Amino acid sequence: MSLVSQRSDVTEFRRRFKWLALAVVLAFLGIATRLFQLQVVESDENRATARENIVRRVTLATTRGIIRDRNGKVLAASRPSYNLYVVPEKLDMVGTWPKLASYLGLGVDERARIEAMLTQLRGDDTGAGHGRKSQQILLKEDISRDAVAALLTHEAELPKVEVVPVPVRYYPFEEVGAHVLGYMAEVDADKLGQLRSSGYVEGDRVGVTGIERAWESYLRGTRGWEKVLVDAKGRRRAGGEGIIEDPRRTDPIPGRDLRLTLDADLLKAMEKAMRGEIAGGIALVDVRTGRILGLYSKPGFDPNALSGGSGKQVIRDAFRRLYTDPLKPALDKTIAGAYPPGSTFKPFTALAALEKGLIDPRATQMCKGALSFGKRSFRCTHVHGAVDLHIGIAESCNVYFYRLAAEAGVGMDIIAEMGQRFGLGAKTGVGVSAEAAGRMPTRAWMTLRNKGQFRLGFGLNAAIGQGATTVTVLQLALAYAALANGGTLYQPQIVRAVETSAGTVVQEFAPRVRRQMDLRPENLAMVHKALVAGVNQVGGTAYRARLTGVEVAGKTGTAQVSHRLTRGVENDRVWYFNREHAWFSGFAPTKSPEVAIVVLVEHGGAGGKHAAPIAFEVVRAYQELTRERGAAGRAAAGRGQGRAAGADPRAGSPPAGAVRNPLDPPPQGAP
Amino acid sequence: MRSDTLAHRLREHFDWPLFIAAVLIAVLGVVNLYSATSVYQGARSELYISQVYWLVLGGILGGVVVVVDYRHLERLGYVLYGFGVTSLVLVFALARDVRGSARWIDLGAFKYQPSEFMKIFLVIALAKYLHDDPRSEGRTLRDLAIPAVLTAIPAALILRQPDLGTATLLSLVFVSICAMTRVKLKSILLLLAAVGPSLWFVWNYVLLQYQKDRVTIFLNPEADILRRGWHAHHARVAIGNGGLFGNGFMKGTQNQFLFMPDQYTDFPFAVYSEEWGFVGTSLLIGLYTFLVVWAVRIASQAKDRFGAVLGIGCGAIIFWHAAINMGMVSGVLPVVGVTLPLFSYGGSSVTTMLLAVALLMNVSMRRSAGVPTFDRP
Repeated sequence: MSLVSQRSDVTEFRRRFKWLALAVVLAFLGIATRLFQLQVVESDENRATARENIVRRVTLATTRGIIRDRNGKVLAASRPSYNLYVVPEKLDMVGTWPKLASYLGLGVDERARIEAMLTQLRGDDTGAGHGRKSQQILLKEDISRDAVAALLTHEAELPKVEVVPVPVRYYPFEEVGAHVLGYMAEVDADKLGQLRSSGYVEGDRVGVTGIERAWESYLRGTRGWEKVLVDAKGRRRAGGEGIIEDPRRTDPIPGRDLRLTLDADLLKAMEKAMRGEIAGGIALVDVRTGRILGLYSKPGFDPNALSGGSGKQVIRDAFRRLYTDPLKPALDKTIAGAYPPGSTFKPFTALAALEKGLIDPRATQMCKGALSFGKRSFRCTHVHGAVDLHIGIAESCNVYFYRLAAEAGVGMDIIAEMGQRFGLGAKTGVGVSAEAAGRMPTRAWMTLRNKGQFRLGFGLNAAIGQGATTVTVLQLALAYAALANGGTLYQPQIVRAVETSAGTVVQEFAPRVRRQMDLRPENLAMVHKALVAGVNQVGGTAYRARLTGVEVAGKTGTAQVSHRLTRGVENDRVWYFNREHAWFSGFAPTKSPEVAIVVLVEHGGAGGKHAAPIAFEVVRAYQELTRERGAAGRAAAGRGQGRAAGADPRAGSPPAGAVRNPLDPPPQGAP
Repeated sequence: MRSDTLAHRLREHFDWPLFIAAVLIAVLGVVNLYSATSVYQGARSELYISQVYWLVLGGILGGVVVVVDYRHLERLGYVLYGFGVTSLVLVFALARDVRGSARWIDLGAFKYQPSEFMKIFLVIALAKYLHDDPRSEGRTLRDLAIPAVLTAIPAALILRQPDLGTATLLSLVFVSICAMTRVKLKSILLLLAAVGPSLWFVWNYVLLQYQKDRVTIFLNPEADILRRGWHAHHARVAIGNGGLFGNGFMKGTQNQFLFMPDQYTDFPFAVYSEEWGFVGTSLLIGLYTFLVVWAVRIASQAKDRFGAVLGIGCGAIIFWHAAINMGMVSGVLPVVGVTLPLFSYGGSSVTTMLLAVALLMNVSMRRSAGVPTFDRP
């Protein structure tokens, strides 16, 4: 019994119970203090962290503005491109993959290639590859609409397969107008540094050339954003009231649409007219406004391939072709290429002589096929016999112009001054692509270039647009427009209006006069008449190429090319690149001209034979289109419906701000 | 006659405060589990129902334990201990790996986690030893050697599973029971002096890399939030997100948006804190404080040494679980896999805790020596 009582003696423990209880209370108090710290003192910070955990700001894509031609035809727009993503690890290779491959319509080779890639990724358990198999990969870019439809229909059978639409720039006319429109490319790291402040991010596409580049800030639009709830696995969740602070969303602003002065149908006509030649450029300008109706450069490129959507490989191939082709498809031959104008320059030499009163236009010179000057013989195309100014221009006699320079005192500086007044040898300020300036060489410039030696022969070459003289196709077109409209040099215009995506005009650009030349009307009329004769009079250089019903005045040119090619190049290439450039510059119709046209066929040979027919084809297309649209416009007006679809009534008549042509008969009612 | 006595004893001596505190915690736990697992689909979203089953099953088991006088356990003390240790040895042969650690024995219908029950068996064995070894003067280190070995054997086996949390818990239960006994000052100083070297030893030769990671992450919590520090970081944010009054039931964003893995086993307290705020956590801590202090009170009123040690041991199991779990969830302790008593999901955990409560009830009901016992004629 005593043993039992001793064994049950709890005195050893007795004094310690209250200390244990105290220790317990203190420990729990300690935890409560910690919770007080987290839940009361630091509550705001923790709440903020918890909110940051689940609230994501996602950007809302904007749409790039649409580029339309003068009649509303779409030249550049955005289309959705569908990209297919899978997570290799999660893809069922037995159940899902064969179905996926058949819905995609993969060929045998492509299927085998993708399957091998997937198998390799799935089997890779090493550190380096481990990440990739559990990450989403781009399985196929820009899948066809049919495939998209098939995939969406069978969505339920294809778990873990995702189709993501991304906007891709789309140019429905493909090569036509490519140089002016430009193309898009993913913004590179260097550029991104500059553009980041304007809201660009990695992977954005930006206009690289042409209008896409020059009008980027208008076309681009502004991204929007929205705050959404996302769980720890990155999945979107609905709701968010009371969690997401206001404002929750800012809508994206779509980019501005552009209305161009270009005419898509004319561009197509230019492309068609140039089919027989491999390289060159055409410019068609409204002489009453300076608006560019058509610019065409050959060879071209398909901006769709460069702007992405069909995959990186396609982009790489397209770029390689663009920059290895000796015909330089990347170069806009109408704006960025400077060429000797050859005989198309002669009207300006003639005007320089007339304006200075240095010659009697009716006096004749003898052309024996060449002119000996100093130690050299300056050649003409053939023996013209007795030539006055009219015939000199119409039949393009070099000797007549040599003599102006050599004997009548029409020096280089006089010629250059007249060229410069017409805007030749200086950038036009069209502002869409890198522009070549060309050159109007002066006596001082030639002396400097020739190591202090000036030779009078330089002046003879300058008189016929050879030697150091170079111009661009667009410059020449604007200069001929000025010849046609009585001496008004316009600022070239290619974007006519900026519109919202809803079609409201935000900004409309009126024609701008660059220079009003004070030329004597009788001198201008004389050159005018000679240009009409060049096409329409027997013996005119373009007479044989004329088309019935197509009323054109103009001048051909056959510009010699300086021999540049080095040894080691194949013979046929040497032959091609040493051949003359063929030119035709003119305006139409002959009475009250509407358009000026310049055609350059690089290394095309004789201008009358190779350039003039192309120009006439384009002018014919212009006349037909104007007639059609005029009829359609009148019909629509007759029905009292106002503006007809596809026809702009303003296209046919000179707008306000245009300068009246002094060569035209005065309008009715004028004094 | 006997049933009359039992019914009478149940009526007269039933420890209602203990019972109500335990039931309240369990009810809060089930409600919280409903919210915590609502983020899942399928079987895991219905774990709260299984939890109710476990509570009922554990309650029945606890009822049986309450009915049998705890002094029978005294006789069976070492037998139960031996059974527990044998089970732990069997774990190595039979257990399945769960997340790199083998803790369970599959018994077909349910999985049995010997390490959980070992806590109770150890308390019983220690109680028996101290019951049989009364001292009037202070104990020396040698006097504590046998209880230390009794603790070390299962602790070492559990550490091998590896389960650092439970092994630590066994040691802490042992220390708590020792705190009750009278130990010589010199021995205490000696033990304190040994703490440093043994920590060094444990760190270098016992702990596995992931266990060390948890400690380093604890010391530098924001270093690796995305991987190793994920649990600790997001639990802390969840608690703080609750604020004073909480986000409301089922409205804790950290849980609803899947930032809280293990929210039903080791981290239900974070879910609860986020939904009920400081007000709710204060209530729960109050309940645990009450439960443990009440256990100390029961121990202090026990009529024999065995009952007193049993009461302190069971109280210690509940205390250390609650303190360590809430400590790790709130970021004052490193993350170790220790459940919150009666609150976390888990059959073995719930049953063990209910057994501990039942033993407390048992001791409490038989505290007054004058009451005739029904089972000792």
